[in-house]
Amino acid sequence: MPIIEVRDLAKQYPLPDNKSEKFFAVNGVSLQIEAGEIFGILGPNGAGKTTTLEMLEGLNDIDGGEAFIDEIDVSQNPYKVKEVIGVQLQANEYFDNVNLEELLGLFGALYNRDIDPKALLKKVQLEDKAKAKPANLSGGQKQRFSIACALVNEPKVLFLDEPTTGLDPQAKRNLWDLVRNLNKSGMTIVLTTHNMEEAEELCDRLAIMDKGKIIAEGTPQELILEHAPEPPEAPLHGDLEDVFLVLTGHGLRE
Amino acid sequence: MLSPLQRHLTSVFLKIFWRDRRSIFFSLFFPVIFMTVFSFANSREQEPIAVGIINNSASGVATEFAEMLIESPLFNITIGEEQRLRDELIAGDQTMVLELPETFGLNLENQSSEINVVVDAAQVTQLNLIMPVLEQTLLSIEREFRDIEPMFSIEIEDVQARSQRYIDFLLPGLMAFTLMQLAIAGSGFNIVEYRRKGILKRLFVTPIEPGDFITAIVLARMAIVLVQLSVLILFAVVLLDIRIVGNFFAYYFVVILGTIVFLCQGFCLGSLAKTQEAIGALGNIVIMPQIFLSGIFYPIESMPEWIQPVAQLLPLSFVSTGMREIANAGATLVEIFPSLIGIAVWFVISFVAATRLFLWKEVAN
Repeated sequence: MPIIEVRDLAKQYPLPDNKSEKFFAVNGVSLQIEAGEIFGILGPNGAGKTTTLEMLEGLNDIDGGEAFIDEIDVSQNPYKVKEVIGVQLQANEYFDNVNLEELLGLFGALYNRDIDPKALLKKVQLEDKAKAKPANLSGGQKQRFSIACALVNEPKVLFLDEPTTGLDPQAKRNLWDLVRNLNKSGMTIVLTTHNMEEAEELCDRLAIMDKGKIIAEGTPQELILEHAPEPPEAPLHGDLEDVFLVLTGHGLRE
Repeated sequence: MLSPLQRHLTSVFLKIFWRDRRSIFFSLFFPVIFMTVFSFANSREQEPIAVGIINNSASGVATEFAEMLIESPLFNITIGEEQRLRDELIAGDQTMVLELPETFGLNLENQSSEINVVVDAAQVTQLNLIMPVLEQTLLSIEREFRDIEPMFSIEIEDVQARSQRYIDFLLPGLMAFTLMQLAIAGSGFNIVEYRRKGILKRLFVTPIEPGDFITAIVLARMAIVLVQLSVLILFAVVLLDIRIVGNFFAYYFVVILGTIVFLCQGFCLGSLAKTQEAIGALGNIVIMPQIFLSGIFYPIESMPEWIQPVAQLLPLSFVSTGMREIANAGATLVEIFPSLIGIAVWFVISFVAATRLFLWKEVAN
């Protein structure tokens, strides 16, 4: 059985301007993610990527369908699921006045674990920042620290929500290396991204979402072969970004 | 007892709150200023009244009269020229000026002389208080001159055998008010802030239970509030000479209960309000009426009849009444049982409301 199994997942929200009407933020998403994969979810803003992740993480109620992580039913046993997942959210602010080492100690306590903050910080190359406050970190350092926090319970599955948004190229590549290393140690990683290069470089398999549905799925190479736009004269022309635009249309998203 | 998780979480929150020295300091600023102002406003009433005397009479009686006034501790007498004293009166250095006429004391047996009192009408409220005192003093001086035994004398005895100043009345109420503000802000504002930063969401994806989170914040914030109030009490007792008659442990017991109630109310407000502005407005709706209705600045008994029953049921009323009875009258915990019951009822209401309203999923998002 895949480590993440999602069938017909759905989430409804009332429309912002007409509360009595509802729309599907996530509409019948099915996914199978194998242990040890780096799985990417691509999609324009509002496609339902974050909502899908939040349902898997237990942050959002599941309105329809079902989801299993490590064979645990997410809606039945949210607390058991939380034990085996690590989560990095888009917002990565923490308490003021507490340094990185203390924050990691706190996260350890939340999982009832004694952890070695120094070793975790070393893993994300922040060992010299142990006494720094999160507010004083750079964007890349903040993201790496968020990942360190997500690792305190040695999760089987790591969820990363747009981990490289807003990072400079150096910080971005540095984070990719970190993700690859974690993956090599056996961790399954699920990430959302807008960055096509990231999806192509980093992910073993991808799902492209739009309007709450998965509209394409496969390895980056498969997606390019299958959906790269015309003209089809050899050599095959276009990259993953072209695929993305063909599939989701060129209209600007809010 | 606390679980290791609760202990760890409490110690982290203690660090977070304790390291925020600026807000710890500034939240004490207002009550300190308040107490200082009131205690000085208070002690000024006991200062002698500045009175100038223009002695136009050459008689020995007039001189003697003036000397007797000088001896009175109630007055601070200056004898001088008319023009100088009038200038001083206008400048506010004298409260009033007595003008003894030329004929003063010449015809002691069958003619009364008229003392002219010059005042600044701007100080008319003070005059209402001073005139009876002046008349009394003049009468007793007259009695001595004429060698008449007074028919009676009045001695005031406080039934509680203690001196009660307004500042003594004010302190417990001010403490109660301060602890309410610190507690509501300390939980409510923090919740809103943690939500805004996404911290609540981040905590929610870990296996922590909301009860552990609330327990840790309540305990840590309580410790900080107790330190803050202790500083205030120390300030009041040492520098302002305010007396706390009752048992300190009983006093702190009420403080702790009150803090828990208001921390729970802060959780309710923090769960309801989605923004920092909203929590400010909601906080005012809860705090403002209680400032005026809970007997902080004046006793509830002095309010209009119809509002008293409502005022007495406010949470801050129970807390401030309990604290005041201990501080001012030396009441024991048994004696303030009605207040304790009131606080207990408010605790149940606030706690149930807080746990109902503080739902991780909704508060975090």
